[in-house]
Amino acid sequence: MKRIVTSAIFFLLLGCCDLQAQHPGMKTIPAGTYKPLMKTVADEITVGSFLLDEKPVTNAQFKAFTDARAEWSPTRVKALFADNQYLQHWDSSGAWTDEIDLMPVVYVSWFAAKAYCSWLGKRLPTLDEWEYAAAGKPEPGQNISSTETLILNWYSRMSGENHLSGSIYRNEYGLWDMHGLVWEWVYDFNRVVSNDDSRNSEEIPSGLFCGSASLNSAGASDYASFIRYAFRGSITGNYTMRRLGFRCAQSVQQ
Amino acid sequence: MKTQHIKKTMMILIVSVSSVLLWQSCTQQEQSRTYSDLTSEVTGEVIAELTDAPFVPARITAKHNTKVIVHLEVIEQPMRLADGVEYTFWTFGGKVPGKFIRVRQGDQVEFHLHNHPDNMLPHNIDLHAVTGPGGGAEASLVAPGKSAQFSFRALNQGLYVYHCATAPVGMHIANGMYGLILVEPLEGLPAVDHEFYVMQSEFYTSGGFGQKGHQEFDMQKALDERPDYVVMNGAVGASAGENAMKVKVGESVRLYLGNGGPNLVSSFHVIGEIFDKVYVEGGTLINRDVQTTLIPAGGSAIAEFTCEVPGTLHLVDHSIFRAFNKGALAQIKVVGDENHQVFTGKEKEEVYLPEGSAIQRISSGKQAAASSEPIPEKSLNERLEAGAILYKQNCMACHMDHGGGIPGTFPTLVNSDFLKARADKGIGIILEGLQGEITVNGSNYNNIMPAVALNDDQVASILTYVFNRFENGGGHIKAAEVAEWRNKK
Ligand code: HEC
Ligand SMILES: [Cu+2]
Repeated sequence: MKRIVTSAIFFLLLGCCDLQAQHPGMKTIPAGTYKPLMKTVADEITVGSFLLDEKPVTNAQFKAFTDARAEWSPTRVKALFADNQYLQHWDSSGAWTDEIDLMPVVYVSWFAAKAYCSWLGKRLPTLDEWEYAAAGKPEPGQNISSTETLILNWYSRMSGENHLSGSIYRNEYGLWDMHGLVWEWVYDFNRVVSNDDSRNSEEIPSGLFCGSASLNSAGASDYASFIRYAFRGSITGNYTMRRLGFRCAQSVQQ
Repeated sequence: MKTQHIKKTMMILIVSVSSVLLWQSCTQQEQSRTYSDLTSEVTGEVIAELTDAPFVPARITAKHNTKVIVHLEVIEQPMRLADGVEYTFWTFGGKVPGKFIRVRQGDQVEFHLHNHPDNMLPHNIDLHAVTGPGGGAEASLVAPGKSAQFSFRALNQGLYVYHCATAPVGMHIANGMYGLILVEPLEGLPAVDHEFYVMQSEFYTSGGFGQKGHQEFDMQKALDERPDYVVMNGAVGASAGENAMKVKVGESVRLYLGNGGPNLVSSFHVIGEIFDKVYVEGGTLINRDVQTTLIPAGGSAIAEFTCEVPGTLHLVDHSIFRAFNKGALAQIKVVGDENHQVFTGKEKEEVYLPEGSAIQRISSGKQAAASSEPIPEKSLNERLEAGAILYKQNCMACHMDHGGGIPGTFPTLVNSDFLKARADKGIGIILEGLQGEITVNGSNYNNIMPAVALNDDQVASILTYVFNRFENGGGHIKAAEVAEWRNKK
C-alpha cells in the first residue's frame, strides 16, 4: 500500500497529467503490487506503471479500424484469426444507432484486438496489469457496496454488453467498467490455462486453498475472480463472443 | 421304507447339487458374456431422448451395444425459485435438475456439450458414469457460444450424478448444474408402471426463504452450509400440488433419486409409503422394506414401491425442517378406490381434552377484522425501521440494495431530482406504477414499473425510508397522506 502511495506521489511530481494529456482516453496506472489469485506464482506481483484505456473499446472506434484496415473487416478476416461469429452483431437487422456506437465492441478475437491496439501504437494489457488495475476500488459515491458483489450481480444479471461503455462504475484509477460490462481480452490470457478440469490441476487446488483461506478475510472476492480465470482458460485466440471485448494499454517511457 | 427315504434324499441332493453347478456355470457365463459384451462391437446409432424432471426417458429395449448421441445445452437464465422469487440458474438443458440421460451398459456414448452464446460463463460436465479423467470434465470445458464433444463407454451399470466441474465448482453446482444419468444393466430393469425423476438440492440466496424479487447467490451462506432453500426438482413446489406426479391405485412406481447438494445429505423418505426395494446408492446392492434411505451429495438411490391406497404421498427430506420450512417436498397423487384392507382412513374423531383444561376455540375472522382497523401512525424511527425491511422485499429487486438502480434499466432513487419534484412524494408511483419516458438526474428511462400492492402504512414507511436513506432531503410521510391520495383518486 505504502508503495502504491509513494509511487502515486512520485508520478504526480513527475507530471503524470502531462502524460495523460498526450494520451486522451487513457489513464496512468501507478506502479504497485497486487495479490494474484494463483499464489503458487508468488505472494505478490509487482506491476510497473503503464497507461490503460479509460473505457472498453467501442463499436464506433473499432469500426474506424476495420474501415482503415480492410483485412479486419467481417467479410475479409481470415478464419485463423477470428471464428465465423466475428462482429456478427454489426449486421443484425436493427438500425445502427448512436447508442450502438458507444457500446463496447464484442465478438472480437484476440488477434483482432491485438491488431486494433497496435494500429493505434498501443498493445493489449498483460494479465497482471489488467488484474492489478481491475482490483482498484470503486470510487466512492457510486453506491457500490463492493467490487465482488458488483461482479456477482453481473453474473446473475447476465447483461452488460448492451450498456454504454463507461456507464457501470469508475474505479480509483479513473478506469470505467473493469467489471460488470464485458469480459476483456488480455495479452497472455492463456497463461493460466493449466488444466480444463478445475479440480485436478497442479496450480488450482493450491489456488483454491489460498482462495478459501483468504475468503475469510476478503469475502467472496476470490470466488468472483475464479470465474474470470476459468473463463480465460476456456477460450482460444480466434474465439469471439457476445460478452467479450477489450481495451488497450501502453507502456510508459522510462 | 428306509431305502426309499435314502433314495429320495439322494435325489434331492443330486438335483440341488447339479442346480448349484448349473447356476454357477450360468453366472460364469453371464460374467464372461458381460465382459465380452461390453467390449464388443457397437451396432446402430440413436439420438438420446432426454427428459426434464419428474419424467424419465422410455426403457431401453435394444439387446446390443448402441452408439448413443447426447446433445446437452447449457443455459444460464433467470427462473422461478419460489412464488415471487427469481434466481439466475445455470442449467443443463434449461431446467434444474438437468436432463435425465438413459443409456444401456456397454453403449458407446458420443457426448456433445453446447454452451449457449448468451451465457456469461464457461462450463463443462463431469459424469460419474464415465471411466476416464475427470469424468469427461477435461474434455468438455467449453466457452459461451461453443460446443465440445467427447465419447465414453458405459462400463458400469447404475444411477449416476453428473455435474459441472468448472472453477469455482461449488458455485456452478450451487447454481443448479447437476442431473442424473442411468446406465441400465444389460438385461434391463424390470418393467414398472411408472418411473419418475426426483433430485434434491439447495440454494443459497441473498435474501431469506420467501423474500420476493430477484435473489443473488450468497457465497458466505454456501460456505457456512446454511441454505435458504432445499428443494426437490429445482424450485419450491416444482413437483407438488398441480405439478404432482400422478399414478393409480395398484400401480408400481420406480423413483430415480439424486442429490445435487452442493452440501447437504438427504434422508429421503416418502410419507405414507414403505420402499419395497431400494437400490442402495444407485448401485446393485438391494435393500428391502426401507423407510428412509440416505442419498449423499453427488449420489443417488433407486426406490420402488406399489401404491395400494389412494391419497397424496409426500416425498421429503426427513431432516424435516428442510421439508416444511425450506421447500424439500414433492408429491405423488394416487387416485382410485379405497382399499380398507390396507388402510381404513379415519374411523372416528373426537375431542381430546386433557384433565382440567378449558375448551379452546381457534378464533377465526377476528384476525382479519383487526387488520382492517386503522393502524396507528408510526414514529419516524419506526417508519425507517419498517421501511428498510419493506424496501428490501418490494423495491430492492430492481432499484438495488443501495438504491442506485441499474444504469439504463432501473433509475436511481438516490438524490433523485425526479422524485423530489413530485408533489405526491412518490405515493402515486408505488400505488399506480409508472411507465413512459422519464429523466432522472440527467439519464433517460423508458421502462415500466409495476404498481406495488401495499397498504397505506407500508407505503408511508417505504417512502419515508427512501427520502431519508437515499439523500432525498429527508421528511416523514404519514399513512394519512397516503390514504388521502387514495381517496382523492
Ligand atoms: C419490477 C421492477 C421495479 C420494482 C420492484 C420497483 N420499481 Fe420503481 N421503477 C422501476 C422502473 C423501471 C422505473 C422507471 C419507469 C419509467 O421508465 O417510466 C421506476 C421508477 C421509480 C421511481 C421514479 C424514478 C426515480 O428514480 O426517482 C421511483 C421513486 C420508484 N421507482 C420507487 C420505487 C419504490 C419505492 C419501489 C418499491 C415499493 C419500487 N420503485 C419498486 C422499476 C421498479
Ligand atoms: Cu458450470
